[in-house]
Amino acid sequence: MTRGASPGLDRREFLATAAAANAAFVLGFWLPPRGAKAAENVTNVGGAVWYEDPAVPEVNAWIVIEPDDTVTIRIAQTELGQGVWTSNAMIVCEELQCDWRKVRPQYASANRDAREMAPAWTLNVMGNGGTDPKGGGEPAFGTRARPGGQGIPDSLYRRMRTNAASSVKDGRYYLQLAGAEARERLLLAAAELWSVPVAELTAKDSVITHSGSGRTTTYGAIAERAAQTPHPHPEAITIKSPDQWTLMGTEQKNFDVPMKVTGETIYGIDVRLPGMKWAAVRACPVYGGSVKSYDFESVRGLPGVRSAMQFPIPDPALTRGRVFSGGVAVLADTWHQAKTALERMPIEWQIPAQNAAFNTANMRAALVAALDAPGRVRVNHGDVDAVFAGADRIIEATYSTPYLPRARMEPGNATVLVTDDRVDIWIGDQGPQETRFSAAEITGIPEENVYLHMCHLGGGFGRNGNGPQAEQALMIANAHRGVPIHLLWTREEDFIGTTYRAMGVARLKAVLGDDGFPAALEVRTGMQQDGFGPEASFDVVSRYYVPNYRFSNHTTSFHVPVGTRRGVGQAAHEFYRESFIDELARAAGQDPYLYRRELIARTGLPWKDDMIQALDLAAEMSGWGTPLPQGMARAIALEERGGETGGSATISAMVHTVSVSRDGRVKLERVDVAHDAGFGLVNPLSVKKQIEGQITWFYNDAMHQACTVEEGRIVENNFHLFPLSRIDEDPPEINVRFFPTNHWLIGMGHDRGTSVQSAIGDAVFQITGKRFRDLPYRAHDLSWG
Amino acid sequence: MAFEVRVNGTQYSVDADPGTPLLWVIRDVIGLTGTKFSCGIGQCGACTVHLDGQPVRSCILPVAAAAGKSIATIEGVSRDGNHPIQRAWKELDAPQCGYCQSGMIMSALALLAKNPNPTDADIDREVTNACRCSSYHRVRQAIHRAAELMKPEAGAQA
Repeated sequence: MTRGASPGLDRREFLATAAAANAAFVLGFWLPPRGAKAAENVTNVGGAVWYEDPAVPEVNAWIVIEPDDTVTIRIAQTELGQGVWTSNAMIVCEELQCDWRKVRPQYASANRDAREMAPAWTLNVMGNGGTDPKGGGEPAFGTRARPGGQGIPDSLYRRMRTNAASSVKDGRYYLQLAGAEARERLLLAAAELWSVPVAELTAKDSVITHSGSGRTTTYGAIAERAAQTPHPHPEAITIKSPDQWTLMGTEQKNFDVPMKVTGETIYGIDVRLPGMKWAAVRACPVYGGSVKSYDFESVRGLPGVRSAMQFPIPDPALTRGRVFSGGVAVLADTWHQAKTALERMPIEWQIPAQNAAFNTANMRAALVAALDAPGRVRVNHGDVDAVFAGADRIIEATYSTPYLPRARMEPGNATVLVTDDRVDIWIGDQGPQETRFSAAEITGIPEENVYLHMCHLGGGFGRNGNGPQAEQALMIANAHRGVPIHLLWTREEDFIGTTYRAMGVARLKAVLGDDGFPAALEVRTGMQQDGFGPEASFDVVSRYYVPNYRFSNHTTSFHVPVGTRRGVGQAAHEFYRESFIDELARAAGQDPYLYRRELIARTGLPWKDDMIQALDLAAEMSGWGTPLPQGMARAIALEERGGETGGSATISAMVHTVSVSRDGRVKLERVDVAHDAGFGLVNPLSVKKQIEGQITWFYNDAMHQACTVEEGRIVENNFHLFPLSRIDEDPPEINVRFFPTNHWLIGMGHDRGTSVQSAIGDAVFQITGKRFRDLPYRAHDLSWG
Repeated sequence: MAFEVRVNGTQYSVDADPGTPLLWVIRDVIGLTGTKFSCGIGQCGACTVHLDGQPVRSCILPVAAAAGKSIATIEGVSRDGNHPIQRAWKELDAPQCGYCQSGMIMSALALLAKNPNPTDADIDREVTNACRCSSYHRVRQAIHRAAELMKPEAGAQA
């Protein structure tokens, strides 16, 4: 069979197509509604998994049951490899008691979230916080703040963000409630149909059985009736506590995997619409800059090229205050044509001189200077200065971490169609509610008429790391109403469009008491202000006992947009803290494992026994203290979040067995992980995968990755300059053991494995005698012997 | 210019500038989107396809260099998603975000074709695709498992 290439359109046809697109699409897998008030009317084929209107009445906003017992469970967070597509479906299924083999996840509708309010029964968190096994834990969205000023409180799916490792923590109780509400209504509908007391009915694997008569029916048979049967007492619905779970807590393979091994999955980059044009963009490489001029005439005649347009710096109100760059877009029939023309098109930039003056050296100097200036004191107890004044010896170390982008594998992209009364967006997005708000602001079309079709995302690693991909696409599509525009960033553009984890420095000073344990500790961290870099992240609370302790933040202003990147500021803080504890243990001549253990034991922290258990278990698993060949060493560190508060927490300890060759090559040989299971893990398989992935993620951070700044621009902007660890750097052996604890987990998708950073440093010290404090380690000579 | 390429056993006549990377011909002209774009400079391997049986990074291979040749993409690995390598990948639940996995599977398949019993060192040398989620731990296990499933005595399908 021979197929022709896609038809080329001349300019006249292009305009005609554009006009036609405004009226109706009749081809392809996307069928437009007749008006914005109409239902969503999106027909999926193949690997598309965004919301579609159900063919039968839904039981509730999360659950649709077809006559053949297929259960569609709607997922409001984005699957980006963390397993939410499966874990959140498990939570619903656990209570619904449907047949797991017939469950099919689908994305929730971000549009309905703008139009409908959350059911009242989802609004109150069950139980009493993080330590009540019957409850909902401690969801992070207590304020229910929404994007864009006041936003929409208590909208249908409440929090559609995928961030802060919170998809299970925040959603579990109301997803359990959603499953329970539907189950009770299915039973009620059957009871009414059979005129029997509902108490005589049981449900299991989508079958309802009447205990007296043995009569049965299926969910599929009763679902339409249940959809018309309101719950008489939704406020009385209860959810299972972890000891009653049967599906949750078991390892379940991920629903998205089969389509990911065939290439079928439709990511944002794969969306194709009839009449669609491609946009390649170039934003000013110095943040805060914009286009002074560009010469479209010089490339207008190139194949496929349609038009070009300039766009301003996206409104910082839509990018959480971050200032990106203005730029220029070229539109063409194919992306390669658009990109080729853009590369050849002369562009002059308007660059703020103060931004162009930044480079890594002067930024580092500014941060170090900030450490010496007064900072914001976050913790201060005892009298640090008095201890320091009377000390014979002060141990001091300064550490640094570089700018780090997410560099997800799927470059930034979005497909947008704006018509006069409706916006459609196809995107893999960790913040669909924020993007919906951006669409309304940019186009003037209300959020209720914005249809955001969620796609699987090719890597997440930080919500606002998406940068202005959607905002740029919205501005371009708004200027080309009626034409679907697919914007795609080059890898180099993705490095401009992302947010960065802030570059940081930290100076730690301690005085040891006669017993070798710290009598006083001062921690000063320096970073740029106004972002979710280290500053706005977690306190460097001394989880380790120190009688005199002071922690202060010292900030300065830089132009690089910083944001939440996997591990957030905590990753840098863990590097500073755990590295320094290793240095103190070495200075005291003590074992770093037992040193940490004692420093935890001396605290009154609510979860200190769990932290000790983590350290003990990891040490035991690793064979801590047993001899290793020359050139190998073990290092241990604790990882915890929430451990100081007495509520939800996640606690783990890892022992990293590291080798360093004489010519300075580092290999992570083995990792032993003791991880807190809390009251229960939803899908332990996904948790293991997340732990495995994060170990190599932070290995990569520790060993290789850094972005530097020259003349205001990020220098490392593709993978030849910004290296990614490959399979040869994955540790050959990873052992994970879970231990039970009496609290809900606070999440584990972004801050496990941070211990690799300090562990490599201490292992290098043990093997080579050299201590390095500036990441990444590859910048240093690690050879020995 | 018109080029004849054979993709997954189907002959296509495509009209493209000779310098257009094969990746974009596969994705935009032929319409097979399983092969992914990520770096555009042949670094990461998300775009890996087979050219006459050899793994190549299609984002930097001009379509002119592929003319008249036989190309295999992820969509051509099996009709039903149950090639032994796909079964192994599913058994190990190897992908996370999955974006790099088409290329990863094509690289692993090329390795297994020439070396049915790869060692860890062989995998390290030949499967150089980047995975930002670091799914490597399970990918390695899945390659070994695929090698088992592909042995004739395992009764695996061809």
